[in-house]
Amino acid sequence: MLLAHVKKELLLLSRDRGGLLVLFVMPMMLVLVLSLIQDNLFRASGETATRALFVNQDKGPWGEELAQQLEATGALELVTKSADKKVDQSTARQLVFRGDFQFAIIVPENFSTRVGLAAERSVKAAFHEQQDMIVPGQLKIFFDPTLRGVYRTAVTNALARGVTGLEIARKSAALGRQLPIELKHSLEKQFGPDEVNSVQLELPQLSGDWARQTLIELHEESSYPAKYTTLPTSVQQNVPAWTLFGMFFIVIPLAGTLIRERQEGTMTRLMTMPVSNGSLLLGKILAYLLICLIQAVLMLMVGKFILPLLGTPVLEIGSAPLALFFVAVSAALAACGYGILVGVVVRSYEQASTFGAVSVVIAAALGGVMVPVYVMPRAMQDLSVISPLGWGLDAFLEIFIRDGDLVSVMPRIAALGGFFILCLFCALLVSRRWRRGV
Amino acid sequence: MMHAADNPLLETEGLTKVYSGATRPALDGLDLRVETGSIFGLLGPNGAGKTTLISLLCTLLRPTSGQVRVLGRDVVKQANEVRRRIGLVPQDIALYPSLTARENLRYFARALRIPRSRIEARVRECLDLVGLLDCDNQRISTYSGGMKRRANLAVGILHEPEILFLDEPTVGIDAQSRNLILERLAELNQSGMSLLYTTHYMEEAQQLCDEIAVIDAGRVIAQGSPTGLIKGAADCENLEDLFLSLTGKQLRD
Repeated sequence: MLLAHVKKELLLLSRDRGGLLVLFVMPMMLVLVLSLIQDNLFRASGETATRALFVNQDKGPWGEELAQQLEATGALELVTKSADKKVDQSTARQLVFRGDFQFAIIVPENFSTRVGLAAERSVKAAFHEQQDMIVPGQLKIFFDPTLRGVYRTAVTNALARGVTGLEIARKSAALGRQLPIELKHSLEKQFGPDEVNSVQLELPQLSGDWARQTLIELHEESSYPAKYTTLPTSVQQNVPAWTLFGMFFIVIPLAGTLIRERQEGTMTRLMTMPVSNGSLLLGKILAYLLICLIQAVLMLMVGKFILPLLGTPVLEIGSAPLALFFVAVSAALAACGYGILVGVVVRSYEQASTFGAVSVVIAAALGGVMVPVYVMPRAMQDLSVISPLGWGLDAFLEIFIRDGDLVSVMPRIAALGGFFILCLFCALLVSRRWRRGV
Repeated sequence: MMHAADNPLLETEGLTKVYSGATRPALDGLDLRVETGSIFGLLGPNGAGKTTLISLLCTLLRPTSGQVRVLGRDVVKQANEVRRRIGLVPQDIALYPSLTARENLRYFARALRIPRSRIEARVRECLDLVGLLDCDNQRISTYSGGMKRRANLAVGILHEPEILFLDEPTVGIDAQSRNLILERLAELNQSGMSLLYTTHYMEEAQQLCDEIAVIDAGRVIAQGSPTGLIKGAADCENLEDLFLSLTGKQLRD
């Protein structure tokens, strides 16, 4: 009997092509996309090269040597030009703030002089056990305000490795020059110039601090304009990301109502009434748009009022409420349009719930909700531009973190609106086919 | 050529419908004419084309070829005009199960463009007509099969259509609900509403219909009054005998 039940279930499944697609292809897509996306994150502390802007203003040789040391770590790929022009400090700051690069390294003019001097002084100080005033050479690093902590640490570590290589080289050179001088001084002091050869040598001892003395200091700076003081926090990143994720899950109930209406016959009944397909779909869209917007407001309020009670920073929502409203509306419309399309195309509620959920997870992953886009492999970064969740997230972050306004988020609003119209157009085409009974 | 001037209730000429991927047409050059004011029964075995014909008459489908006019209007070119004047009681319980009967009727009344000022009165009349006024605030999902069928009928007549299409409206319900539905249909007809009705219950058709058409393999094989058709056929005492003699006793898929 049990075998009969199993056989019947397998037969039913084999006849349900859509169900099989959902059961096998969608999880495979999920595994594929998430694995690829997270690949670089897991290798971020390892060997995958990360692109960084490198602005070398140094007039001596060590800035160039630093570049070689950093690239020799294998963790960084240094970019010195943008649009075929050599990048200067202010352009680098803008490019990073705009999100084109996640960080930039600025080598100042006097870097070689400072590092050389610091190396000499640190060696001298070590021989004489003095605490000389050593002024290290300073490297500036601009970080993208949206850069996440883990990634920032990985990049800083890679940078520290490169810097250590340069420091050791400079200290060794300084030691090579200073050691014979110190040795001669020491011998002469003990035996006089004529009797150095007949006496047992007492070599000068190096202080242990010498090796640890810093020659190059890493100085991190934000790339924000000075007027904007909001610091990126986990709340700034996560609240908009998961708000969008939640909004797009409207796909399942929305598609579900369309499927139930078809299955229960209410859609058939409505189609014999003087009701246009457009007004039927628009009615659904408006209702679910309202729900999506309430969802968004509630989730942002959690970030603003509830999370701080639990010890996290407050969600700063920027200074462009109108832009925020339009971003929320366009994201909600995109979610509703997609829900309508899924509801029109798939055949059962089971298919809609699985396909809808998995496709939203994939779009969220591609769009940088789970892992930032800049951490993904290049091919996945190229693919990420197709994710409406990515457009929405970019727009939210632009307002929350980069102090964006309606003009700066308009391209993303337009993209979300375009996606909504495309979904609706496809849904109308399919629903007209029902009406023609082909 | 069809003559619109005659103004029959509905008329089809050479009506053919072939579904995509099907090996034979669902309707195969069907010709039918139904006069205004009648209760017309559409009988046929499973797969004969009854539901396809009703779907075409209700503007749900477009014909592959041929012409269909309902109330003098072309169902393809003047679909919206047709939709305003027809009502459908589908075979499925086409209602929202999580809404109450009253909520369902209110929603469909808006979809049917009944003026707001008339909606409440009309909803009440229809609920009263089908005997659901006492339990109008119960969700449809809590209704018995007979109550659901009656609510299904109430939605079909909300806007007082000139012609009401009923696709097996009494299937699977008890004798009391069936009796009430048949009584109400007769009353609606007396008040001027034309009815086109499909059923597998031959005694029901014999009792209710002024005229019937038997269709098989997408064509009309007999049309006339039930008594006239029975009298004209040898060895047929009732409509069921006539039906079996016309369509055969072999099983249909």
